Amino acid sequence: MTRIPRRLAAKIRVVCGVGSVYQGGMLPKHSGGGVRLTGLALIALGCGGGGHAPAPALPVAAKNALLTPRDFSAIADRDDRARAIFVEASRVMLHPRCKNCHPAGDSPAQGDHGRPHDPPVARGPEDTGVPALECTSCHQDRNAELARVPGAPNWHLAPIAMAWEGKTPGALCAQLKDRERNGDKSLREIVEHAASDELVAWGWAPGHDREPAPGTQAAFAALVDAWVNEGAACPKDEVKR
Amino acid sequence: MSESLRVVRRSFLVGLGIAVGGLALGSFARAEEPGGPGAKGTAGDGLRPNVFVHVAPDGLVTIVCARSEMGQGVRSTLPALIADELGADMARVKIVQADGDKAYGDQNTDGSRSVRMDFARLRRTGAAARMMLVTAAARRWKVPAATLTARDHAVFHDATKRSLGFGELANDAAKVPVPAKEAITLRPLSELKTVGRELPLVDGADIVTGRAAFGADVRLPGMLTAVIARPPVVGGKVARHDPSKALAVKGVKRVVALPAPKPPFAFQPVGGLAVVAEDTWSAMRGRKLLEIAWEGGDNAGYDSPSYRAKLEAAVRAGGRVVRDLGDVDEALAGAKRTVEAVYHAPNLVHAPMEPPVAVAKADARSCEVWASTQNPQSARAAVAKALGLDEGAVTVHVTLLGGGFGRKSKPDYVVEAALLAREMGAPVRVQWTREDDIRHDYYHSVSAQRLVAGLDGAGKIVAWQHRTAFPPIASIFDGATYAAPGQLAQGVLDVPLSIPNVRAENCEARAHTRIGWLRSVANIYHAFAVQSFLDELAHARRMDPADHLLEVFGPPRTWSPADLGVAELPNYGQPLDEYPIDTARHRRVLERVTSLSGWRGRAAAKRALGLAVHRSFLAYVAVVVAVVKDAAGKIRVDEAWIVADCGLVVNLERVRSQLEGAVVFGLSHALYGEITMKGGATEQSNFRDFRLMRLHEAPRRIHVEVVESDAPPSGVGEPGVPPVAPALTNALFALTGTRVRELPVVRTLAV
Amino acid sequence: MTVRLRVNGIDRELDVDPETPLLWALRDALGLTGTKYGCGEALCGACTVHLDGEVVRSCVTPVRRAAGKQVTTIEGLSPDGSHPLQRAWVELGVPQCGFCQAGQIMSAAALLAKKPKPTDAEIDRSLSGNLCRCGTYLRIRAAVKKAAGEP
Repeated sequence: MTRIPRRLAAKIRVVCGVGSVYQGGMLPKHSGGGVRLTGLALIALGCGGGGHAPAPALPVAAKNALLTPRDFSAIADRDDRARAIFVEASRVMLHPRCKNCHPAGDSPAQGDHGRPHDPPVARGPEDTGVPALECTSCHQDRNAELARVPGAPNWHLAPIAMAWEGKTPGALCAQLKDRERNGDKSLREIVEHAASDELVAWGWAPGHDREPAPGTQAAFAALVDAWVNEGAACPKDEVKR
Repeated sequence: MSESLRVVRRSFLVGLGIAVGGLALGSFARAEEPGGPGAKGTAGDGLRPNVFVHVAPDGLVTIVCARSEMGQGVRSTLPALIADELGADMARVKIVQADGDKAYGDQNTDGSRSVRMDFARLRRTGAAARMMLVTAAARRWKVPAATLTARDHAVFHDATKRSLGFGELANDAAKVPVPAKEAITLRPLSELKTVGRELPLVDGADIVTGRAAFGADVRLPGMLTAVIARPPVVGGKVARHDPSKALAVKGVKRVVALPAPKPPFAFQPVGGLAVVAEDTWSAMRGRKLLEIAWEGGDNAGYDSPSYRAKLEAAVRAGGRVVRDLGDVDEALAGAKRTVEAVYHAPNLVHAPMEPPVAVAKADARSCEVWASTQNPQSARAAVAKALGLDEGAVTVHVTLLGGGFGRKSKPDYVVEAALLAREMGAPVRVQWTREDDIRHDYYHSVSAQRLVAGLDGAGKIVAWQHRTAFPPIASIFDGATYAAPGQLAQGVLDVPLSIPNVRAENCEARAHTRIGWLRSVANIYHAFAVQSFLDELAHARRMDPADHLLEVFGPPRTWSPADLGVAELPNYGQPLDEYPIDTARHRRVLERVTSLSGWRGRAAAKRALGLAVHRSFLAYVAVVVAVVKDAAGKIRVDEAWIVADCGLVVNLERVRSQLEGAVVFGLSHALYGEITMKGGATEQSNFRDFRLMRLHEAPRRIHVEVVESDAPPSGVGEPGVPPVAPALTNALFALTGTRVRELPVVRTLAV
Repeated sequence: MTVRLRVNGIDRELDVDPETPLLWALRDALGLTGTKYGCGEALCGACTVHLDGEVVRSCVTPVRRAAGKQVTTIEGLSPDGSHPLQRAWVELGVPQCGFCQAGQIMSAAALLAKKPKPTDAEIDRSLSGNLCRCGTYLRIRAAVKKAAGEP
């Protein structure tokens, strides 16, 4: 039986999914605008894998926290486990702190509700802005002290192929595994990127009153690492509500 | 007064060593200063017929600009006009900026008044100098003065082909009595080379090279910089505070408490705590670390949504009748149909690109100030009062202004610098941050208006009722809750309406923040409501809006106060016989703008046009705005046409640039501009939440036409603004079918 | 701490906190007041300067970032105000109050250095970070095109 961290025990809900259906639409729509995945979605994933495994109990992470890979050990099926872990990790990637600069269009977003970047900026040919309005015209290697301008080394936009805006976890997962759309990285390199990239790290230290991505960079990297170790299966059969 | 400044603690930290550079401020003219223009001068020092002109024996002509330059082009216009009247060559003219001094007459640079108030007066200053130079030449040559002409910096006797340069005549001319005002002969207008011309931009080269000196650029030896934490709510004060973290910042010298103001607030600083440091960054850092608990005071319950409801209730209830013609009640009761609309416009902030800034140097007996100010005389008076000095002991130098729009007429920030300079015993620059500017402005009034029209069986307008409610400007001076006639004469009392029954009512509105005048003032919301409502009526009556406006203005004629239904009409301070309300001029600008914009053929285009016409500051302006919707459903302004009849124009080039700018300024506010209050405090803080129009949002083209006119000169800086918002919303109605009755537009439509 | 940088071709040594924004180092420490404070948040562009030829908003750029680099301000754009943009700005009477114009010109100069013949859309994209409250935008666009020798 899964050992549930005590702090989360109170939030346990036991639900069996009706098949391996990820309730995709819940993801961006949940609770007050913040991206949050509930136990329901996790467990629905966990209950898949042929439909005969007993429903394991999984904890629910607080909005600002991440589950650990160990929290998923109750899921018997390795692929299901990888899927569930990925969904948890996707809470980071689809958090505004990360997806704002992985836009599907020509310009990044700001804030928690996808507001267009102000001043208006364009990605330019190299995703670093346009002449006289480069990302680094304003963004420094760290957050500005008195201004709200966020900063981290090499501030830039993700290439359009790596757009996360509007993606479901499943689509995001497929994209991450596709070297054409992940910056030509191996899965190991992705883990490394998640663990140590300084721009990624900014997501947890965004400064001012911005809500950080859930958990910590280490917790996120541990999830990505576990997902890769578990075979890197992707959530499937997504249903958009 | 300095006793009221409480020194919190002196920091012993030594900050940056600030390099002291040269002051590249140009020169300042002090009327009473020995040797300055306007002083009696000493023999051999050349000609000084008045405080505006000096002709030196070496031929250099110095001309004083006594109005503040904030982009409207006064420095490129007024001295050139004086030089023209004198016959001086601008290449040998030095322009100096006047200090604040009543000797120059009115210096308050607002109300679009510089040319309209100074045109004759300034010409006389140049003409007096010319006459004295001519008299001196006539004496020397022993010929009648009438046979001489002054031009090209010299006096000519054409009959004998002799000439004498101004410099050669200057000392002799100084001995000639200064002609009395009545004896001064002005050149015929046809002889003036500056009138109706495109004059060079005198500060252009300095601006594009970074040499131009704005208020923020003044640097004095030993100067400190202060950044002030002000009460978020007007009338609030510091309950308690802990300066220790601020004082621990390297470079911070002291934290100084400023006195809380007493109502009426007028031009007093709002109080708070000043962090005084050796450099700007240290002061900003220090302020961030101040720990302050504020007391809200009487205005802490002020919320914009509930205040709006109050204003709208006021215009439903009615107010004091200020304009009355016929019997509106009876006409409405007998109307076949009535049309009614309520309009709302929000508070706005001036937000000049240069936030308020002033530098002061003071001791127990005197104070010297350098300020980006529109009104150096009121700054001088306010500083004198705050320091307990005679005005004569206060000198106010005027720098270039990085925008003003009315904000820099109010010298609260100049007083802050003076108080701190005396307290610190060192020159102090008070730098407002953008957040300070947005949060502690003298805001443009929020307003509500209700308009009702009665139509008879034939669809003719038989009744017009206009109620307006807005916290008045006078509230800052005397707590007034009803607008003064001067503000009502901005689009309520002065609109010619060929309608038999007209009534306007002034409704009560109490101010809960500092209210101030913003470029075009009450005309902004009044023109928005009146010109929107006339467009609504045109649609209700199935008339072309242009034809409808022409019908409402009526035949070309001048309108007396009785025709308007008012006892008297404040006419921007100028007489009605000289500056009448003339519907011929309304009609002319309308006809020109519809012709230029292709108004009559507009149905064929994919875009929609909107029209508005408004007289303000004695100028008549018509605007057409074209709007389009892009593939994503977002609306943008595509093109704009503005036609102005400003009477006689001096510097046509700057008039055109003012009108272009007015279109952008008006569109920016109409589309995005809004200040809201919560708990008495301003919710916005910087350009991220007080949105301004950016380059890519500006119309593709703005067409400007200035009507040729020999009527007396009107205002120019402001009158372009009022018709822009209603022209836009009328165009939006034509495009989308949505009638925007509340500003900004972004509340209603995706723009 | 000492920060060494080259400003408008002159080597400078500044004894400032390395986190001080370049704007205040230029204005307060070096007396180069052509670069303006407008918002302190990189929203208005009035403080635009070049760092090794690239545009930065000096109000949010710590002076340490300029260490060992070339800073160009409006005062150093040309020795005598003869940069094609400066000439075009004067010829077309672009400035009104003038406060934003140094930043506008510095942004435009960086654009022209990379795109000598920009389209209207490119001008709009590159200069949309520079606010002008007086509303001189159309003349700004026209002056950039004039300086680029475009119709």
